[in-house]
Amino acid sequence: MNAELTLLHFAGLPAFGVLIGLLGSVLGVGGGIFMVPFLVLALDVPIHQAVAVSLAAIVATSSAVAAVNVERGLANIRLGITLEVTTAVGSILGALVAHRLPANAVQLLFGLTLLPVSGLMFLKGKRSLKAGAAPAAAAGGKATAFDSGFFDPAVNGQTSYGVRNMAPASFISFFAGSLSGLLGIGGGVVQVPVMNLLCGVPMKAAAATSNFIIGVSAAASAYVYFRKGFVPLELTALTVAGVLAGSFIGIKLLYRARSEKLQIVFSALTLLVALKMLTGAF
Amino acid sequence: MFSERDFAKLIQRTLLAGVFLSSLLLLAGFAAALAGASAGAPLLKAGVLAIILTPAARVAMLVYGYWRSGEHYFALASFIVLGLLAVSLLV
Repeated sequence: MNAELTLLHFAGLPAFGVLIGLLGSVLGVGGGIFMVPFLVLALDVPIHQAVAVSLAAIVATSSAVAAVNVERGLANIRLGITLEVTTAVGSILGALVAHRLPANAVQLLFGLTLLPVSGLMFLKGKRSLKAGAAPAAAAGGKATAFDSGFFDPAVNGQTSYGVRNMAPASFISFFAGSLSGLLGIGGGVVQVPVMNLLCGVPMKAAAATSNFIIGVSAAASAYVYFRKGFVPLELTALTVAGVLAGSFIGIKLLYRARSEKLQIVFSALTLLVALKMLTGAF
Repeated sequence: MFSERDFAKLIQRTLLAGVFLSSLLLLAGFAAALAGASAGAPLLKAGVLAIILTPAARVAMLVYGYWRSGEHYFALASFIVLGLLAVSLLV
């Protein structure tokens, strides 16, 4: 299983890892949707190993970014740990199913998943560019233990919000988790819109909480892959080192950057990657 | 008194400890591998393990923190997640 390590790996992997770390710290996603295709398409890594590398990378971004978000009070830990229950179940089941599937089936699933993700990202980016605001907080709903607030430097004040629809959100989280195990994506692309649109959590808090959750969902699947011997050591080590560096640069430099425009660019990129993965599956 | 702030700090320190431990092990591993020393691979493996075990350590701290602040519902949720992580290590 040891792929020959070339100069391309040594230069490309940490550099790409830095990019993924930046992405994770800005958008609250693990970056697996780009990590896996990069490994498969550019470096010819078998997809099961690519998924394993990506999972470790997601754990790395999540841990680095969550450390800062927790301190800033952005991540809603009560909401996060509750959604993690169903996410972790999905994540373990996904990983167990994935290692029984042939490589091109995984690749096909990956491409198919990316299509709606690309659409969601585009819509989300477009909507927040237009409105610039999260759904109104807690209007009418009864107070729950999940309600929270955070200091938002953009409006220079405290933003409070209520959390609703926990039951359907937990249900959907199960599928977000299974995506993680199956495809090596953290599931942030599902969790962020679910928390934002369904639960009414403001975008910034949703991104931070999603980042918090995907650490656990990626770890749960990563353990399964590790036990099955799917984790290529050198590739993973190089990638994790790059991702850690990128996350810290991202936290320092890009925290105040506007993520909406980035999202539209990424949606186009996701669509491209989806098509490439789909054509590669046949 | 165990405040929300102490709790956030505990979580933050746990995550940072994992991240820095992993970075150190990986750097040492690369250095050893480039120098041709046999310690390279085990160090890299330890570095990768350190990072993927970091979320589990964080969840363990959540169990402790919610238990100490008397929020039993969330302590239970954290404990279930910790249990699930243990399961994924064994399956």
